[in-house]
Amino acid sequence: MDHQPQSDADFLEPSVLLDETHYQEGFKNGYHDGLSSGKEEARQVGLKMGFQVGEELGFYQGCLDVWMSATRIDQNAFSTRVRKNIEQLAELVSSYPLSDPENEQVQDVMEKIRLKFRVITASLGARLEYEGRPASSKQDVEDL
Amino acid sequence: MDGAAAELREAHRLAGHADRVWSLAWNPAPGAGAGPVLASCAGDKTVRIWKRAPDGAWQCTDVLEDTHNRTVRCCAWSPDGKLLATASFDATTAVWEYSGCDFECVATLEGHENEVKSVSWSPSGSLLATCSRDKMAWIWEVQPGNEYECVSVLQGHTQDVKMVQWHPHLDILVSVSYDNSIRVWADDGDDEWHCVQTLTEDNNCGHSSTVWAVSFNHKGDRMVTCSDDRTLKVWDTSADLSQPKTGEGHESWRHLCTLTGYHDRTIFSAHWSSEDIIASGAGDDAICLFAEEKNSMVEGPSYKLILKKEKAHDMDINCVRWCPQDPRLLASASDDGTVKLWELKGSVLD
Repeated sequence: MDHQPQSDADFLEPSVLLDETHYQEGFKNGYHDGLSSGKEEARQVGLKMGFQVGEELGFYQGCLDVWMSATRIDQNAFSTRVRKNIEQLAELVSSYPLSDPENEQVQDVMEKIRLKFRVITASLGARLEYEGRPASSKQDVEDL
Repeated sequence: MDGAAAELREAHRLAGHADRVWSLAWNPAPGAGAGPVLASCAGDKTVRIWKRAPDGAWQCTDVLEDTHNRTVRCCAWSPDGKLLATASFDATTAVWEYSGCDFECVATLEGHENEVKSVSWSPSGSLLATCSRDKMAWIWEVQPGNEYECVSVLQGHTQDVKMVQWHPHLDILVSVSYDNSIRVWADDGDDEWHCVQTLTEDNNCGHSSTVWAVSFNHKGDRMVTCSDDRTLKVWDTSADLSQPKTGEGHESWRHLCTLTGYHDRTIFSAHWSSEDIIASGAGDDAICLFAEEKNSMVEGPSYKLILKKEKAHDMDINCVRWCPQDPRLLASASDDGTVKLWELKGSVLD
């Protein structure tokens, strides 16, 4: 480092550097705090969303289990068309990418599932609905 | 005809509904010896049935209420005249059995996510189509015992579907929408319904705004649509789109002509009579009648205005329907809460 006569800028340098140091320390503390609270919040959101998806899919699977049992007891419990719809719903539910929440298809698959479920209940004349889900498929998932 | 100028004479004014009347339906088969039977549905959540008394006056003989808990938007009779379907903003469609004197609600179809806008019976009476603001159309099959099974859900429109209408002879369904397009649906014989054609502004000289209604002529080789763009469009629908495409060059439905400048507000309804007269009703409170120009030298058919009835109602006209038993009798429904019956007098031919 040059040992030149100190100019005004150099005179102020320690003050500026002090400011900079404090800033850096503040930034580091803030970042760490944010990181850990962000992780905690994200974990809560993930658990909540995962629960909601799981609960909804579980509901449809439950209905499917009952319907398929009914068919095993009596092949003609449902019409051919309704049986086909039940099979299609079963395929859709098992095709839901459970371990891949980042998959872009998730919303699409869930909407197909909901629609197919409504087609079945409408055809059976059954007032059966997953209560947890929003009325319109376009609404955001509500807070539990 | 005596050669007098065509005139639309107001014959009767049917008051009774407590809110805007949205839609009308004439019973296609009221029974041997019975006069015409008209159903009207309204924002007052009821459906009213109107019949002509022996002295010629029209009376409301039935009020179908306590079933829908919101506006009844559309009603339609089955081809055999024994069932009346009513579509409501409460997201359900009710089916009523008509014995000739009584009405009984025998089924309620649920499935749409929100307001049902229209309902239509297929020519055989075995299928029922409904459409909704949820952008979808549902096709239902009638089963014994008043059971209805969903055959298919038609997805494709990107906005509110305003009306569905079956072709008069073929199992082809047409839907029209707030998305400005007209979609044609047919099945492959295995319950798989697909959109076989979409008529848009870009591809087919289609409408540039919401399409509100569609009506076929008696033969089924023409259809008319009307829109918020203040035009009516006539289409050549002679191609049988219910048949699977065989190789290249399969035909499609195409635009024939556009009727512009006759209404200066949204045209909400259009209906083709069995005498090939098109009636239209609009937000300008007027009814127009059109017929094909037989002597036309231009390429393709063209239509001319027979007459425009200004101030036919005090407010927007939501629906116009020709009576199947009397092709000179026209019914109109309006936001003013009334239904009017009109008689077409005079000569409409060249």
